[in-house]
This record gives sequence, structure tokens and C-alpha cells, in this order.
Amino acid sequence: MISRFTYFKPHNLNEAVQYLEKKEKSFVLAGGTDLMILLRRNLINAEHIVDIKALPETTAFEFIEGAGLTIGASVVVNTVVDSEVVKAKYPALNEAAASLASYQLRNRATVVGNICNASPGADLPPALLVYDAVVNIAGPQGMRQVPLHEFFTGVKRTVLQRGELVVSVQMPEPGEGDKSIYLRQARLRGHDLATVGVASRIKPDGKVAIGICAVAPTPKRLFALEDMINERGLSQETIEWAAEEIREHIRPITDVRSSAQYRLQMASVLLKRGLLALIGKEA
Amino acid sequence: MDEKKYQSKYKRVGQAYDRKDAREKVTGQAVFTYDMELPGMLHARCLLSPYARARIVSIDTSKAKALPGVRAVLCGEDSDILVGLYMQDKRVLAKGETRYHGDVVAAIAADDEETAERAISLLDVVYEPLQPVHDVDEALRAEILVHDDINELKHYVGVFFPQKDSNIASWNKSKKGDLDMAFEEADLVVENEFSLPAVAHAPMETHVAIVQADPYSNKVRIWSSAQSPFAIRQIMADSFGISESDVEVHIPYVGGGFGGKAGIHLEPLATLLSRAAGGLPVKVRATREQEFNQLPTRAGMRGRIKTGVTKEGKLTGVRAVYDWDSGAYADYGVNVGKTAVYSGIGPYKVDNASIDSKTIYTNKVFSTAYRGFGHLETHWSIERQMDILSQHLQIDPYEFRMMNLLKPGDQTMSGEVITESNGSPSDCLTAVVKEIGWTGRKTEEERQREWKTGKVRGKGFAMLQKAPAMPANTSTSVIMQMNGDGHVKLMIGAVDFGQGAITALAQIAAQELDIPIEHIEISAEIDTRANPYDWNTVASKLIFMGGNAVIKASREMLRKMKEIAAQALRTDPENLLHANGEVYHRHSPERRLTYKQIALGYMYPNGTGIGGPLISSGSSIADGLTNLHPETGQGYPAAVWTFGAHAIEIEVDVETGYVDVLKVASAFDIGQVINEKLVYGQICGGVVQGLGSALLEGYKFNSDEQLMNPSFTDNKIPTMKDIPGKIVPIYIENPQHNGPYGARGVGEHPMISVPSAVGNAVYDALGINFHVLPLSPEAIALGIASGKKSILCTDVDCLPGRH
Repeated sequence: MISRFTYFKPHNLNEAVQYLEKKEKSFVLAGGTDLMILLRRNLINAEHIVDIKALPETTAFEFIEGAGLTIGASVVVNTVVDSEVVKAKYPALNEAAASLASYQLRNRATVVGNICNASPGADLPPALLVYDAVVNIAGPQGMRQVPLHEFFTGVKRTVLQRGELVVSVQMPEPGEGDKSIYLRQARLRGHDLATVGVASRIKPDGKVAIGICAVAPTPKRLFALEDMINERGLSQETIEWAAEEIREHIRPITDVRSSAQYRLQMASVLLKRGLLALIGKEA
Repeated sequence: MDEKKYQSKYKRVGQAYDRKDAREKVTGQAVFTYDMELPGMLHARCLLSPYARARIVSIDTSKAKALPGVRAVLCGEDSDILVGLYMQDKRVLAKGETRYHGDVVAAIAADDEETAERAISLLDVVYEPLQPVHDVDEALRAEILVHDDINELKHYVGVFFPQKDSNIASWNKSKKGDLDMAFEEADLVVENEFSLPAVAHAPMETHVAIVQADPYSNKVRIWSSAQSPFAIRQIMADSFGISESDVEVHIPYVGGGFGGKAGIHLEPLATLLSRAAGGLPVKVRATREQEFNQLPTRAGMRGRIKTGVTKEGKLTGVRAVYDWDSGAYADYGVNVGKTAVYSGIGPYKVDNASIDSKTIYTNKVFSTAYRGFGHLETHWSIERQMDILSQHLQIDPYEFRMMNLLKPGDQTMSGEVITESNGSPSDCLTAVVKEIGWTGRKTEEERQREWKTGKVRGKGFAMLQKAPAMPANTSTSVIMQMNGDGHVKLMIGAVDFGQGAITALAQIAAQELDIPIEHIEISAEIDTRANPYDWNTVASKLIFMGGNAVIKASREMLRKMKEIAAQALRTDPENLLHANGEVYHRHSPERRLTYKQIALGYMYPNGTGIGGPLISSGSSIADGLTNLHPETGQGYPAAVWTFGAHAIEIEVDVETGYVDVLKVASAFDIGQVINEKLVYGQICGGVVQGLGSALLEGYKFNSDEQLMNPSFTDNKIPTMKDIPGKIVPIYIENPQHNGPYGARGVGEHPMISVPSAVGNAVYDALGINFHVLPLSPEAIALGIASGKKSILCTDVDCLPGRH
């Protein structure tokens, strides 16, 4: 059934949260690139659309030395792609952002929307995860913070409760010598969803962080694998070992986009290539 | 294009003029059916079958009818109209049984799209799901019939051969020589199976039609995004039992067709809705999803090829069996299947051969014409088979092909003798092989060495041939009229849906009349009330047939001009020549008249007029064609063959399986370039579309034959970023003696055999023979991982290495 909804554009956070809490079947609109598809295909029955772009808290895009980066919920992906700070400090995020959909869509799609849509194959979460991103959530009880790796609860599901709204996502500043890379495999060069996407990061102390999408019900940070790699010490040999070991840490499915078998292989290849590239930079 | 610039020997033919429609299109002024709104126009929505095959138990339309704004609700009970190009097998609205997921169960016209869609959701339909026919093997077992009335279906008798109590819409055959003996005499007999999935045309403008049907008479007015105005008119007349002159078809600009808008599609449904809504115009527009899963597609195909060859490399015999998964309806599918029996062994001399081509019904989305009309599919089989044979023989694939290519004096599959006037397949092959720098196949050591770098390069090539697939008496016509200013209005019945027809035909007229191309007024918009007849805008036939008609009309125009001028200049028409928009005396050129002076009749100084407005026409009918013998397939099906070849260099990432296309060289013996810019555009577009079929595209169905990728999210086609590093077009100009300026058609050809050339290059790179398309990164990577040397299946369910 085609949705018939009320459009509401609040100008302060309280107003937004109260409305979302009070009204059933409310959906948050920022870029709309996911919401419009759901509406057009009648996959949701929306009665209220709450446009959050006029909330001052959602428009923040700032890097504070020592504190890190904050990306508000209305900030579009191309803002991140074009940011010199992101390029310099968070290269994997820059690369993931630049790989998302097409230029036109990136002009509308928001970073936070990519998180909130909670698609298993979302490109930005792997990069945000390796930077220990924290999600700032406003709700009827005030603000709360949830680490991104605890934010996703399933396919298209998050910890967000009724009345809650993600205001921004923030990441600490990486130290000197920090490196990262995002690699993805798709069916073609033009815009496509990732078959698998892997963000790899080597911190200044030599410890690795690995984020991955499209191989499990949610984007994932592979903490256990990271520990095993860190224990062994990073080397070409460890990387080759890790590229095999990663198969034990993910549970891809076969769908119209790819077989599970190919996803396993690509997770392995992308992790290997990513880490090798990072230590190559080091050498 | 870089390097050498094409030089034409003619003043206007061969010159790289801009398209006549370019400015209107790039500035957004061109109007497409999709854009159109008529006063009082209603919008339609369809309810499609949710099952591949189901019995419709009941439909309750009462709630939908009660919704304010709903003007018409139709279901199968309301109309028994059947449509079909060659087989009348498709109900406009399903009744009793649905045959695929896109069958229209009910249709609603309302004041706006939202109301129509809301009304659709108020329909209450009870279905009894039935076991569908999934694939060609199941269909051939004929335990379930997709059309249980197949024995009674009205069809084009003598050309198509539906089989009794079966799912075979047409079984076409050809044979010659003694195949048993040929295989016995062969030193080597190799048999292989190749297949490829259905793919979408994906035009920018989806199918859309607006129809205003007068409820008080038979009059039907149609505006449609379609390739074939006159075919629509004829089929509408046949199906609705009205006369052709009752049907008026307007074709505004068309946003892409690729064969998918040939024939008739949404027009009959819009007609029924308009009649039911009291004659208000009704617009039926396919959503992008419907474009994929309701409107027809290119058929999936399986080819089984058995070839005998001597150890020196001479082909002794070929047996080819082609099974086409045409889905629920025959549409153009039966004619696609028919082409395989005269073209399905490729451009080779084979004295002993047999071909069986079956167009088969299943409960999937149905098939129609698609650029290449079966030839991309048959060449995928034949040109991969030729490469595999050369591997067995350890003969260079170039030498092997050169040994067997058709040359003057040889016979085609249907027994037509090739002459110099057919052009030269070997010129095309030699040109592309040279362009790509072919020095022989890679050795295993070379492969191993490159493998260590993670990337392996390979080169491959493939031949192609195609002639228009059309009835033996296919015809076209043009009307030419001179305006008062000496410009010429040229009217054609064929549609320019992007291929450049109006520009190319204007060039031929400009060349003949020797006036600037800007002085030729020609419109892409067709109105069957005014424009002259053309059979169908398909088959790459327009330059050849339409070009000849334009030449005839131009020469008639010149003859009439010279008759009037001769009278005015007091001489014999024989003494008159023409140039630069003037007619002049060949001995005393100062005796001359401009075209303008005679355009509407010559006027003497005292005011007396002679002649009158200049008007001429030209017709062209396929010359000397015959229907094929039903058993042997012998006869003359080809008005004009165009031969060609592609050579492709690729680089394969051996871990990800991604195939990077570095260079494509494409040569076609087109006889004469009419417009270098347009032919280059056709080649680039065709090559990229062919690469889509080669590397990317393919329908995926679930177990109920529902399309799993009915949108661009998962039904990918190449984008700007996927265009190969380099495309080098090569124009071979061995003239066709009955072609306009020697020209042949080339619209479809650039797409044909691109996949086979890529497949052959993949073998050169990896030493693995792939038998299934597409050669996606996944297929290649898992093929490598399987350790097998022949990859026969890459479906999700039977991935190599899984067993």
C-alpha cells in the first residue's frame, strides 16, 4: 500500500524526539536515499516522516585536535569524501565514502544514514568500526553513547528504541603513523553494492583493526582475529595466515549478488591486499 | 577515435555530420512518449501474477471499482483479445491460467497513478498455484504444457513450426551434405555445450504507450515508445478485428529500443482500458521493475555443437542444436530461433551440417528481439567451439579460421553462393588480429610466469556474421517533397530510436541531390497517417533498404526537376546536369536554374507556371529472398550479409576474477561508411553492450521462476566506468553491388561475438575454457579455484568446486 504520511521538519532536538516518541510509524528522513526506496516499493507503511536536516546538532562536521572527528546526521557522504582532514587522518573512511554508490547519490546520502539503515553490506561501517566510532543517540531520556560495534543487532536492525534518533557519529583522533585502507569487491567498476568490503588499520603501536561488511548479518569488527594477528606480530607471514584464518570469523550467505564461497575468497584476498599495502607503505 | 582519420571519396556520403537530432536531445527539447500528457489522460497500473503458473480462481474488483478516481478496471473475463507477431499466443489480460510472473491479471485506469496503484491493492484475487515449467529440459519432457492449446494456436504457417502437444513454439531445421560420413572422415570430432542467460534491453525510456480509443467507432489513436509503427498498426488491426486505417500510430522520440520495442507491447492493454474508460486517453507506463520482469527480454540459450575436423584443420561437418528458453510467449522468439538455422554455423564453409533450433515455452518472462537477434548467442557457441577445436588441433586459431572462412564461390548454410559483393570475412579477421598484435597463443610457461604477478593477460578474437532476419517480402518506402526554398522534406516510415537513421538517410539524399545536409528536412517523429510504410525498424536493414529507397526517390525527383527545367530552358532533359542545388546545361552551363526556381513549379517572367510542387517517392523490397525449406532449411534468407570480427585484449586478476578489458579492435565489412561518427557510435555502443553480456549481465530466477534481480541494484549493465581502455573501429569497404553506395547494415553487429572473443581471451590468459556466460569476477575466480580446465556451469547452485 502506498504510504500516506505527514511531513514534519523540527527545528530543535527535543521537538524531534518528542514527535518520534509520540507518533507511531514515524520514519527519520535525512538524505532519503534508502527511505525513498522503501516508500516507493511500499516496503514500509509510513505515517510520519521526520526531516532532521534543520536540527543544528545534525549538521556538525568538525575535527578537533586531540578529540577527533564528529560527523552529524545530516552530513552527506560527499562532504566526507572531499574533506582533507578525513583524507589525512582517516584514509579508510575516505576510501569507503568515495566507493559508496554514485556521485549523485553521495550528494544526498548521509554517513549516519548509512549506519542507521543497518544494511549488512553498508560500505561506511567497516571504516568507522576500525576507528572505534561511537554513535551519539538522542532520546526521551536524553543523550546516550553506543560504540558502533554494539549498534547493529541484525539485518536492518539497530539498538535504536522508539523516540530515539542518531545525532552524530564520532571517532577519536588517530595517533601519528596510523594507517588504514578500505578495499571492496563489486561486480563492476561503476556503482554497485559491495560484494565484500574490508577496512584494515594499523595503529601506531603496530596493532591492527579489521572491519568488514557483507559477510554477516551486520557489518562487523573482527576483534578475535585482530587479537590473533596482534599476538603473532604483524608480518607478511602473519598476513598470509590471517587471510586464511578470516574464513573462520565470518558467516557469509549466498544471495543474488554473490555466493558465500566467493565472499569467503574475497574477504581473504581483500584482507591480505589491505594489510600488505599498509606494511608496504611502512617499508 | 584516434590515429588515422576516415576519408570518404564522396562529398556527403561518408562525412561525419552531427546527428540531426543531437541538439534537441542534449538540450532536453526532444519530447518522448514518457513525457507526454494529453487532456483528460488517465494513468494505468497493472496487477501482475505473483506466481509463475497459477489458476486464477476468482477476482473481486468491487472495492477497486468503488474507489473514487478509478475509471476502468479490467481482468481476463473482460476481453479475449489475443496478440502475437508470429504466434497468436498471448492474452492481453490473463484468464484461467497465468504463465509467468509478469502476466497481467488485472489493469486499472484512474485519474492519477497513485489512485490506480491504491486501487490495485484493493483487488482481491484468489490463485491456485500450479507447478511451473522451469527450464528447457523440463519443457521438452512436455509433462506440463505452458500453452495447452498449442495445437490450435494461430501462427505464420510454413515459416514457424509449433509441435503438437509440446512446449515447442517452433522447431526450425536445416541440413545439407552427409553428416555421418563427415564425422567418419574427420580426424577429430569434438562436442561441447555452451549456454547463456536471459538479459534485459534496459532502454533509458521504459515501455510506455498512450492510447485514445473511440468508444463509438473502431478508431484507435496510439502514441508509443516503439520501433515499429506499421507493425503495431497491422497487429492491432488483426487482433482487434478492425482495419489498419482505423489505427493511427504516432511515434515521438524514442529513448532506446535495442529490439525490445519492436513488435507490439503495451498498446493493446491501453486500448482496452481507454475503451472501458469511455474513450479517455490512457497512459500505460512500465516501471523499471516491470521493464525487467513484465516486458520481454533476450532469451536464454543452450547450444550443443559437434564438429568434425581433419588434422590439417579443415572442417568436415557441424551438428548444432540450439534450445531457446523463450519463456511464456513466442513473440519474436520464434524468429530469433529461425535465424539460427541459416546462420548458426558462423561464416564458415561447411559442406555437411545440420542445425535444429527449438524455441521453447517455459513459465518465465518471455523473450523478444534483442540487438543481434540470436547471433550473439549462436556465436558464443560457434566461436568458442572454433577456439577449442584449434586447441585440440594445436593450430593457431587465426590460421584455423582463415582456412575455413567463407570466400567467393562457397555456399552458406542455406545454400546461397557467396560472391565478391558479399564482402570479405577474412579481411575483417586479418585486420583485427593485426590491430591487437596477435603473435600466437600464450604458452603454459608464459602463463605461469605471469600468474605469479597476480595478473595474467590474454588475447582472443571471434568472427561474426548477420543478415537481416525478416520476411522474404519485407519492404520500405520514402516520400520526398521539395519545399519552396529548394530544401527537401524526406519522410520515412522507419523510426530513429537512436541509431542515427534520419541523419544517414538525409546524407544519402543530400549526396544524390547535391544539396547541403542542412537542406534535408527529416523528422524522427512518425505518424502512420502521413509517413509512408516501413515494415519494422529492426534487423540492421534501414541503411540498405531505406538507403536504396532514398536513392530511388532522389533520382525520380531529379528526373522531374530536369523535365521542368528542360522545358524552361528549352532543351532536352538529357542535356541537363545538376550540382550544388542547380540544374544546368551540360554544353552551355550559363543556362541554369536553381532548385528553388522549380520547387513549386517554374514561373515564366509573365507569371505563367509549369510543373507544380515537386514530389517523388521510392520503394525498396527485399530482392530474391525465399522462405526456407521446412526440412532442409535451404533457400535465400539474407538480403545482405555483414561480416565482421572482434579481437580483444584483457587482463585477469587471478584472485578476484575481475576481467579488465584493455583493448577491443572491431572490423566490419560495411561496404561503405555513410557517417563515420554514427558508425563509430554504433561500434562503441555495441561493443560495450556486448561486454555487458560477456562479463556482467544475466537474469536470476528463484525456484518459482520469479526474477530475483528486477532492478538496477542487482541487474547490472556497464556504466561509463566500465568502458574498455581502447576501442578501435576498422571499416572494411568491399562494396555490396546492390547496396546504397555499396553500404551494408551494421547496427546490431558490434554486439555480436564480443562475448566469444572475451571467452577466447580468457582461455589465452588462464588456459581454462568457460562454457557459460557471464564471465563475472565470481565465475572466473571460482572457476580458477575449481582447478578444472572446462567450466560448464557457474550458477549459484552448481558452482565449480562446490562438489
